[in-house]
This record gives sequence, structure tokens and C-alpha cells, in this order.
Amino acid sequence: MSESEGLLSGYKVLDLSSGVAGPYATRLMASMGADVVKVEPPEGDVSRREGPFPDDEPHPERSALFLYLNIAKRGVTLNLDTPTGRAMLTRLASWADVLVESYQPSRAAEVGVTFEALHEVNPALIMASVTDFGQTGPYKDHTARTINHYAYGGLMYITGRPEKEPLQMGPRVPEYGTGQNAFVATLTALWHRESTGEGQHVDISVAEYSASILENALTMYSYTRHKVTRMGHRGYGRAAWGMYPCKDGYVGVIAGPAHRWPAMAELMEEPRLNDERFSTARGRQVYADELEALMEPWLMRNNKREIFEKAQNMGIAFAYVASPGEIYSWEHLRDRDYFVEIDHPEAGTLDYAGPPFQPEGVPFDWTPAPLLGEHNAEVYGETLDLSPADLVTLRASGIV
Amino acid sequence: MAQALEGIRILDLSRIWAGPYATKLMADMGADIIKIESVDRMDTTRGGINPPSGSGNYPEAEPGEDPWNRNGWFNSLHLSKYGVTINLAKESGKDLFSHLVTISDAVIENYRMGVLARLGFDYEKLRSLRPDIVLISMPAFGNKGRWKGFVQYGIGQEQLSGMADMTGYLDEDGPMKSGINHGDPITGSHATGAMLASLLYRRRTGCGVYVDLSQLDSSVSLIGDAILGYQMTNRNPARRGNRHPYLAPHGIYRCRGEEEEWVAIAVASDTEWQRLCAAIDKPGLADDERFADVLSRWRRQDELDAVLSEWTRDKDSNDVMQTLQAVGIAATPVESAEMIFDDPHYQERGLMELVDHPSTGPQFMPGISWKMSKTPGGVRWPTPRLGEHNETVFGELLGLDEAELFDLEAEGVIGKVPTRDN
Repeated sequence: MSESEGLLSGYKVLDLSSGVAGPYATRLMASMGADVVKVEPPEGDVSRREGPFPDDEPHPERSALFLYLNIAKRGVTLNLDTPTGRAMLTRLASWADVLVESYQPSRAAEVGVTFEALHEVNPALIMASVTDFGQTGPYKDHTARTINHYAYGGLMYITGRPEKEPLQMGPRVPEYGTGQNAFVATLTALWHRESTGEGQHVDISVAEYSASILENALTMYSYTRHKVTRMGHRGYGRAAWGMYPCKDGYVGVIAGPAHRWPAMAELMEEPRLNDERFSTARGRQVYADELEALMEPWLMRNNKREIFEKAQNMGIAFAYVASPGEIYSWEHLRDRDYFVEIDHPEAGTLDYAGPPFQPEGVPFDWTPAPLLGEHNAEVYGETLDLSPADLVTLRASGIV
Repeated sequence: MAQALEGIRILDLSRIWAGPYATKLMADMGADIIKIESVDRMDTTRGGINPPSGSGNYPEAEPGEDPWNRNGWFNSLHLSKYGVTINLAKESGKDLFSHLVTISDAVIENYRMGVLARLGFDYEKLRSLRPDIVLISMPAFGNKGRWKGFVQYGIGQEQLSGMADMTGYLDEDGPMKSGINHGDPITGSHATGAMLASLLYRRRTGCGVYVDLSQLDSSVSLIGDAILGYQMTNRNPARRGNRHPYLAPHGIYRCRGEEEEWVAIAVASDTEWQRLCAAIDKPGLADDERFADVLSRWRRQDELDAVLSEWTRDKDSNDVMQTLQAVGIAATPVESAEMIFDDPHYQERGLMELVDHPSTGPQFMPGISWKMSKTPGGVRWPTPRLGEHNETVFGELLGLDEAELFDLEAEGVIGKVPTRDN
């Protein structure tokens, strides 16, 4: 824990969640100073098996996904398939301000993680359930993997080329995004608790996250019955609002407001771009092919980084398609102290993606992710008053 | 019923999507959000002043008399907010804004870096008006670093943050763009988190907070595992179409609909494979040596895909989902907006809410993004028309009388009709 206060110092969080969404929510809490105790089953969080791993050698303490998502948390193990484990959980729930869990609802009932039961022992407890489909509705116990999160809820249907099949994205955006909203929803409940002392159950699902970020698609259907579909590399079907090949990769050619359009002709050394037809968003949709043909020669003569910087220096919002390795090399992010060096006993010293936002003068906590069961003695001693001898018994019985 | 964020007042200078999404999440839960536009620079998502008929996101594709109040994109992002206009370039506009700062908890903005300061409202100035104010400043590349003066939208953040690079078809070399601008909701939700965490901090310590939120930092946070993975393996993640690094079968399969209809299926283990074979009524498949184990299935994915497609081809995607989910296999339809509207699960959870707006009539809008048992939140009123709450906010809240409001309007500081096209 940092010496001066983080944004969320003082809050106690019991984190039963696994995978990505719940752990990202609690990563945000932990890095902002909350005391997050991560409870894993004796075999560990599934993300410990996901990787990537150093030199591609799987090792439960060296998974990039696990290490990234679980910084600044204390780690304990607990077997909730045993009555003793469930009894310990109930006592831990009296210690916590917030409990985060990600079981399918039917599984949550099996292991005793229900709001009704835990609310009884701790009426001020906030329980955040972060699941694939939520706590209610006919599909609540359905199973999903990342591709299903892109499919269900509408993101995939609109991603890809119109003449090809819908496409998933490579990163786990729906799960991470759900984690973000779970963080927000939990803080909302904490704000209410600060005023009233009242706990409550918060129900966050990936399904709702995905469907709530479809930009225009749902309202478009509501207003016009028009189904937004795939537009390939062109956003909204417009030229110069999308992704284009250049000499050494891909760049984002992104036209701003109409009064800035003339800069495009200057940048691309192509006076024909000054044609009035291209100066409006609608024109760039109608005459997209023609416009792209005029842009292509200059794009193919130039490198992505030069294109990006040259356009930006003229005030135009270009981008380029960067790999994680390229991003890792950016001076701009070093200027901002974005990457944080963290030394982990098993994984060694690595640079971690740091704070998603920077509150001036308020520190973050960048303690490495816990080893499996690393804080059993400390946490169970502190919160449940268990002795080292008790823990030997519990370990021998397969509880921790 | 009291709502969770009742009593929090936020001045919202943000526009387009990221900032408005951030404050939408708080408006849903009862916070008072004062959305500030001006008649000569309304939010661009309100669309143009005089767009052609038959285009754009207007009811029945008709822009109507006041298209800036009828745009579905804008109208879905500003439910339950107060809408006012202030021209911040004018002195009396600055006075009005200053007055609002003194009675507000926080300010949020996503101008180009430096614009708010040029308008005369850097953090020091805001603090002089309200000592414990929270400021969430969210320019594209943040307020420090060599690219701080650069500009960007959500569409570009997706490319700069590695997401596009990791996405693409197997039979192409290049990356692929997603169907939305992911940078926006990602940054928006992080901004809401920053806001609430700062307000909780202020509640505890009495101190305000200035938050520098770079949309780039915020977006890169969603590929943090790949940043570590690059250092561990000296490699970037491969683009893999609809496949998975180790699960097979894994992909989307064509169903029977006349319009394109697909189902996404992912099989994770030998047990799941056996259950799948039984569920699709092809028991011989379970004993087929070509697909006997995880490795052989991984190597023969093209053949597997053909087998599965043959089974799904004449079926309804919802039936495939039900058949496979019944035995615990991850299967979901690839949903279009229309399918989401008709989806019984979303219907039971109340994803869409019917909202009656004076310029559009009743329309379905995406409502609250999560459920809370004690403070459920909800749509309190429709998205404000341009300047709709000028009287409420400047009159009732700040105490200006009718004559003063009249003068401000005559001076072009406030108003309800746009004077400049988007």
C-alpha cells in the first residue's frame, strides 16, 4: 500500500471473480488504493492458464493476462465446494465493503454466493455480480467465450467487409469494457452507501455492455428500421473516415470538420481533392471510390509514421495501425510515465500498461500480482483470526 | 425512490461520444448533468441544420423542421441531462459559466488540449471559483507528452491502441476496422470511473482532483496483456480471423435465414466436443479419429468447420443456440440490431426503453446499462432540445430574471436555434 492516500484508500474488497471482466474492475480498485483480496480456487484463476507466457512456456505465475489484471491485490485460496470453505466466505463477507463475483447464477447458488445470504450477515455489503448474461432473463445461465461476446449483442454483425462474414476482434474488448462499467457501477453503489449506509446488489453483464455501445445501430433501427451492417474499412461508408494501406502498413485517414478539409489536398499534394463534392461527410460517402483513388498514390508513397505526424502537425486527426510492440516503443507514452516497471518474483521485471487516467498528485499502487495463495496466512489471520496451526489443518483438508 | 447519484452536479462541456457516454452513465443513476453547448457550436452529433431528406438517423429518415433535435445518435446519449447553451467566447458567457462552477461538483471536457485554458478556465481558475472542484480533462493524447497537441477521435484510438492490428481476416494480410469507434466508450467509462473515484476521494479528504485523462492511455489499457506478452515473447499477437489460439472448433457458421444469419460456436474441451457430437445427433462423429483430441481438432479446423456448417445451414440460429447451450456449449447468434430488438433475454432485462421526445414522438432508446437492486436508476426525461433548460438552469438555479435572460439571448450568448451548421 502506498504511503499517501489513493483515490479509493480504505475500501475493502473481496474479489471472487475470475477471467477478465471482474478482475479488470478490481484491478482499477486495487491500483487506486482499495484493499482487494483476490480469492482463487485452489487450482487458481483460469487466467493463470491463458498466457502469453515468457518464451511460450506455460507457468501459472507467469501469465501475462493474470499478471496484468491482478496487480496490487492480495491473493488467497479457498475451496468453495466445501462447507468449511463456504463458512469462511461468509465470515470474509462481513469484513468487506464490496464483494465482486463472476459465477454463472446457478453456480453462484451452489457455492453460497448469493446476495440474500451475504446481505444477511453484512447489510452494508455491496455485491457486484459481473457475468456474461446477467442475473435475470432466460439466458442467464448460458455460456460464452470471447467470440460469443462479439456475436451476441451486435458488435460482430457490423464488423468486417460487407461481402465477407462478420468478424470478431482480436482483443477482449467486451470483457474489459464490462469490467470498466462494473467499476463504475460499484463506485455508484459506494456513493449511495456513503450517504445511507445501505448495501445493494449490482448486476453487470457483458451482454448489456456490448449492446449499449453499438453507436448508432440500435437507435437507427428504432428510428428508421434500417439495419446498420458491415462497412469494411470505411466508417459509416465514408471515404476518409477509415483505414487505408500505405507504403509500410496502414493509416487512419480521418477527415475533421468541413472547414479543415482543404488541408487534406495540401497534405496529399493532390489539388483535385479540393473538389467541393468531397468537402462534406455526405459527399465523401457518395463519391467514396473516386476520393479513395485520389488519396491512394500519396498514401502508397509514404510511411505510416511520417503520414501520421505530418498530418497531425497540420491539425488533421490521422492515426496509424500500431502493434503492441510499436506502442511499447512510443516516446509519448514514456513522456507521460504511462508504463510502470513492476518486479514480480516469478515473472521478473516488466513494464506494465499503467493508469488509464492520471489524477494529479494522487498515487497509484503498483504492487505485483499475488502468487497463488501468497497471502493466506496474512489475510486469514487478520480477518478471520486464524492461527498458523489452523491454516495447516485447512491446507491438509483441501480448503486453502 | 432516491437514486444513487442524486445531488451530484456536473458541468459537461464534452461532445461527440466519449464524454457524453461518461455523463450518460451518471445521469442514468440520478446525477444532475448540465450539458453545455452553444448556438454557434452545438454538439456535432446533433447533425446538420438542413440535411437532405431520406438520409441520416431521423425518425422515418425525415430530418424535419428542427433536425438538430431529432437526431437519434444525439438523442440516445443525453437522456435525463439538462441542456443549456452558453457562448464561452463572450464575457457574459464566461460569467455565466463561472457562476455555474461555484455551485457544481465537477467539470468534464474533451476539447482539444489547451482550449479550456484559452477560454480562461484552467484548473487553477476553476479552483478559485470552487476550491474542491473535480476536473476531468480528456483530450486525445492527454495534457502532457510530446503528442499532447495532436487530435483524434474514437475511430483513430482503435488503430493507435493496437486493437485494429490484432483484428483481421485469415485470408487477408491486413488489419480490419471494427464497426464502431471503440475508443469512445472505453474512454467514456474510464472517465466516469475517474469522476466517481475522485468524488469519493473528495468526500473523504475534502480535496478536489484534477484528472488528466489521455484517450490513448485509456484505450491502450485494454490491451495491457498484449503489452506484457510482447515483452515476454518478442512477438505481437497474430490476427486470427474468427479462430482462437487453441480452441477448436471455433467460429461462426451460416444458418438458414434468407438474409444472412450466423451462429458463433466455441468448443473448449474433449468433454464439450463429445457433448456437441451427441447434441447435433452425429454420434459417429464422436468416434471419428480425425477429431479425436484437442490437437487433431485444432489441425483439422477446416474440416470441422465444414461438418458444423452442414449441420447449422438449415437451422435457425436461435435453435442452434438452444440446442448447444442446453449441453453447456458456448453458442450465440450473431445479432443484428433487429435481432437485439426481438431478443427475449434483452426484452426481459429491459435493454430498450420507450422514451417520448417532443420533437420525435415516442422512440425506443438503449436504457440503463446495468441493474442495481436498491437504486435502479432510469430515464427521467428525454434528451434536451438545444437550449431547452436555459430557463431552468439560468433562471431557477442561478436566479437570473426574464430581462437578463432576454439580454443574454439578444447578445447571442444563449439561445435555442443554431446559428452555424455542423
